[in-house]
Amino acid sequence: MRIAPLLGLSAPCLAALLLAVPVVAQTAQRKPAPRNAVVYFHYPLDGLRVPERFTVRMGLKEMGVAPAGIDRPLTGHHHLLIDVDAPPSDQPIPSDYNHIHLGNGQTEVVVTLPKGPHTLQLLLGDSTHTPHNPPVISKKITVYVR
Amino acid sequence: MLGVRLSLVLGAIACLAASTLSGFAQERPRQRSPAPPDAKLSFVGLENNAKVPSKLTVRFAVSGMEVVPAGTVRRNSGHHHLLIDSDLPALNQPIPSDFNHLHFGSGQTETEISLPPGRHSLQLLFADQDHVPHDPPVMSEKIFVEVADAPEEKARSAAAPGARVFFRDLQDGATIPTRAIIRFGVEGIALVPAGTKSENGGHHHLLVDTELPALDREIPSDFNHIHFGRGQTETELSLPPGEHTLQLLFGDHEHVPHDPPIMSPRIKVRVVAGPVDGTRAVIAPPPVEKPAGRTPAPNDAAVYFVYPRNGETIYPNSTIRFGLRNMGVAPAGVVKPNTGHHHLLIDVPTPPLDAAIPADLNHIHLGGGQTERRITLPPGKHTLQLILGDDQHIPHDPPVVSERIEVIVATRIKKPGRRR
Repeated sequence: MRIAPLLGLSAPCLAALLLAVPVVAQTAQRKPAPRNAVVYFHYPLDGLRVPERFTVRMGLKEMGVAPAGIDRPLTGHHHLLIDVDAPPSDQPIPSDYNHIHLGNGQTEVVVTLPKGPHTLQLLLGDSTHTPHNPPVISKKITVYVR
Repeated sequence: MLGVRLSLVLGAIACLAASTLSGFAQERPRQRSPAPPDAKLSFVGLENNAKVPSKLTVRFAVSGMEVVPAGTVRRNSGHHHLLIDSDLPALNQPIPSDFNHLHFGSGQTETEISLPPGRHSLQLLFADQDHVPHDPPVMSEKIFVEVADAPEEKARSAAAPGARVFFRDLQDGATIPTRAIIRFGVEGIALVPAGTKSENGGHHHLLVDTELPALDREIPSDFNHIHFGRGQTETELSLPPGEHTLQLLFGDHEHVPHDPPIMSPRIKVRVVAGPVDGTRAVIAPPPVEKPAGRTPAPNDAAVYFVYPRNGETIYPNSTIRFGLRNMGVAPAGVVKPNTGHHHLLIDVPTPPLDAAIPADLNHIHLGGGQTERRITLPPGKHTLQLILGDDQHIPHDPPVVSERIEVIVATRIKKPGRRR
């Protein structure tokens, strides 16, 4: 189920296409992440039934959180992916209703979703919103909004 | 110094804890993983009876086996344990985890330890995924090291060129009342609490009526040498009427002046009893800039424990997880509105909320923006509290503080705890 209306998703896609060349050029330097770094959900857990409005809480192991734009080793900021597959990990994570950026270093976010099943996934991005190398990404979980 | 003393005290607690712990644990012998007979464990570059500084890095080497993180099940592999001042533990039990039995469960092959002066024993012991020594046990020789009594001349931290300290609003020859607020400023070098090692940082010392102390060692701590180890930038000083001298001297994390020393000129002040007309404004003008730095926080911001909850029973080795509502996490030193970094306080009361949070074994700074921390506690009751600090480790205004929760640490938990 796609929550983002047409505009939300297509614009960044277009932008990504247009920007493809310079973006690829800058991807050479992805920030390293420790192998044992893990991003995971405190809440909700896979398969849980949740109300329409709920708080997603995230945990991060072996790394620290820093707001977007802050370039410190072993840090990154959270991105919550809703009802989408993980974007390519060598480009900045798109910013739309399906890719929620927690750019101020937040570790939880309140989301409102329509009834039905939805998938959630966490992906850490570095100061430029690009996933680390290797990417620090959670399992994709499914929640049922009742 | 404080750190060493603290670790001693904690070490003593841990010893006690370990003795009670082994009482519990000696019931069920565990399955031991086999080890090749030629596996060897040794210290790198550390001889028996070596003379060492109180703070030293110990490196370990293993041959014939592989180092893997704890929990990884693999043949002929394991992780290091360093036994300090203790005999071999029971070899059919998990190695205790305390200040005398250090675990390197992430597969580390070196560590920095602090030892008090005197003779100490060190021994390495390898163990499998469940922290149980192998069969036959893979261990090093027990070696002894000697920590010198008198602290040797310490390496001095380098000072950045152009760094300086100065008195704010206080000139040479000023007249001040018997109780005056003295403010100090610093430029070109960061203000960090004592005990926190920093490339280019230190804390203030106010020298009252005294010459400069020796610059190659710790600044003395007495009525004439006032330490501001929490990174304070002002103090209320009471002096008897008469002439006095004041001087500022910056010290690094170990209270040793920098090289070259960062100090103010020595100024003379005249202290008079009673109100001083017109000078109060000179001494303590209303602070124009950030008053000793409390960063505003949203009213609805909150910090809380995701795990454990109040009253829960946890294992001695537990990961404490933090939650933060309506604010973001940023590493220490990052100035960004509505962000801060976590501090985990263990078994201590809430510190003053208008000064930098102390940095020691009971006040754990998560300056890298971490949102969880694995800690080791001896069995018994403990209190935990979270405080958010701003870029300078100072609590926000209003402070973002969790309630102080109580947890019980036990080696056995009846109902399975949530452990990941």
